[in-house]
Amino acid sequence: MRLTKSRIRRFLSHYWLLMPAIFIYIVFLIYPMIDSFVVSLHEWDGLSLQRKYLGLENYIKFFKDPVSLFVFKNNLIWIAFTLVIPVGVGLLLAIILNRKMVGTTIFRSLFYSPAILPLVSVGIIWAWIYNPFFGALNAFLKLIGLPSLTHGWLAERQTALYAVIATAIWQNIGFPMILFLAGLQGIPKEIYEAAEIDGASGFQRFLSITIPSLRETFVIVISLIVVSSLKVFDLVYVMTWGGPGRTTQVLATWMYFNTFLYHNAGYGSTIAWIMTFAIMIIAFPYIRIMSRR
Amino acid sequence: MRIWLYVILSIWGILWLIPFLIVVITAIKTQGDIISRGVFALPKRIVLDNFPKAWKMGKFSVYYRNSLIITFLKVPAGIFVASLAAYPLAKYRFRLRDYIFLFIFAGIGIPIHVTLLPLSILLKKIGLLDTLGGLFFPYIAFGLPFQLLICRGFFRTIPTELVDAARTDGCSEFMIYWRIMMPLSKPAIAAMFIIDFLATWNEFLIALIFIHSDKWKTVPLGMMYFHGQWASSYPVINAGALLSILPVLIVYIFLQRYFVSGITAGAIKE
Repeated sequence: MRLTKSRIRRFLSHYWLLMPAIFIYIVFLIYPMIDSFVVSLHEWDGLSLQRKYLGLENYIKFFKDPVSLFVFKNNLIWIAFTLVIPVGVGLLLAIILNRKMVGTTIFRSLFYSPAILPLVSVGIIWAWIYNPFFGALNAFLKLIGLPSLTHGWLAERQTALYAVIATAIWQNIGFPMILFLAGLQGIPKEIYEAAEIDGASGFQRFLSITIPSLRETFVIVISLIVVSSLKVFDLVYVMTWGGPGRTTQVLATWMYFNTFLYHNAGYGSTIAWIMTFAIMIIAFPYIRIMSRR
Repeated sequence: MRIWLYVILSIWGILWLIPFLIVVITAIKTQGDIISRGVFALPKRIVLDNFPKAWKMGKFSVYYRNSLIITFLKVPAGIFVASLAAYPLAKYRFRLRDYIFLFIFAGIGIPIHVTLLPLSILLKKIGLLDTLGGLFFPYIAFGLPFQLLICRGFFRTIPTELVDAARTDGCSEFMIYWRIMMPLSKPAIAAMFIIDFLATWNEFLIALIFIHSDKWKTVPLGMMYFHGQWASSYPVINAGALLSILPVLIVYIFLQRYFVSGITAGAIKE
């Protein structure tokens, strides 16, 4: 086929619409991502002109280093909590709010509202609630006669990570709720009516109709929640800065500390890439479902 | 049964509301009041000057200006770029169509974290590091996958006959996009606008890495520094926290109808 003038003109008049998106996407996302992989194969401080090629040594180091494994474990704990509580409570709230009752819209908006706030402000608000001297949580524990349970929530090694996770749970409960609500509304009423005539109890209907019908919603919710738990940065950065010691470091903050504070750009990029691999695997089912025709 | 549901919902609702109430009740007290009588006591007298104090001490006028500039430039520009590309991907028939869509949409699985160092080097080279322009292009790039998904999904529901009729009438491709696709997609565009407004207003990590000068800090970044400096002036910090969440709360309260349709469109297959 010859590239005639009219062909070129047709191509330009039709396909230029794609160009700005593809250009910005490649220059500001794909290229930096690939460049970061190259950096992860080197020992580099992020500034100087010299960098030393290491191959996959940084990756081997990550899986041998007790600190990185500890940091990774914090993400796994985070995932476990945000999977069980927001997904469970979100489903429960969705089932309750799916009924025709007065006031469901208000409750729905209320439970979702923390999700729209800037995480920095959420972290600052909760740091105040956790304040060891004047914070609301300790004040409440003293008020109900349990002063022995008061803690320096964000300053003690045993409580810091869980205190941050509790904040994330408060912030995240509305997201699965909204998605489950949308999923529930897609289930035809007739199926429930038929099951009721056949004598199925409420719980049986839940197990054999609701849960299977929400299968795709479950895949999407779980996939998105795990991805966002692997990416957490803001709350940890604002509330504990990874401390006390390194007890609340997660992959994203550990990547940040290495790359931008400790000047281990090679190792920091390795952490970022391990995050990226994990996220791509977890996000795959979501991408597949959403891009299916 | 119904009463019990209301009881459960109300208890849960109050539990979820408490953090908001704590911020408000702290922000209208004096420091002395909090230290001597605790958070839960009603304020001795309601003090409102924590808000102007926070506005001034936190340099909120600068941060608000920057956040408004970047949000109102980035959000329309990002939606324009995404919808422009969504039109051919929804309505043309060509061999690479689905691959190009998948190539961009799969970007939803790329965490921004992995691009930060190379991006800051790139931005430094082109002179955009530590400016609002340095936020503009990465923000657009990271918004593309989601917005392309929503736009393409919506454009596909628009009858192709309309496009064909316009072509016969001699409309250019851009005019078809601008005069037919966009006006018919108003609900989807509105939903994306609101979601993206909130996401851009709240963005922290990219701003933290790229912005260093005080004069270009956005609200979340400024709020972080404000907290760092005045952490123990509890009423002023809480007043500042309220100032930082006020715009998103207002947008959410008045426009949430569009908002819910937007998040479900991005996660539920019809």
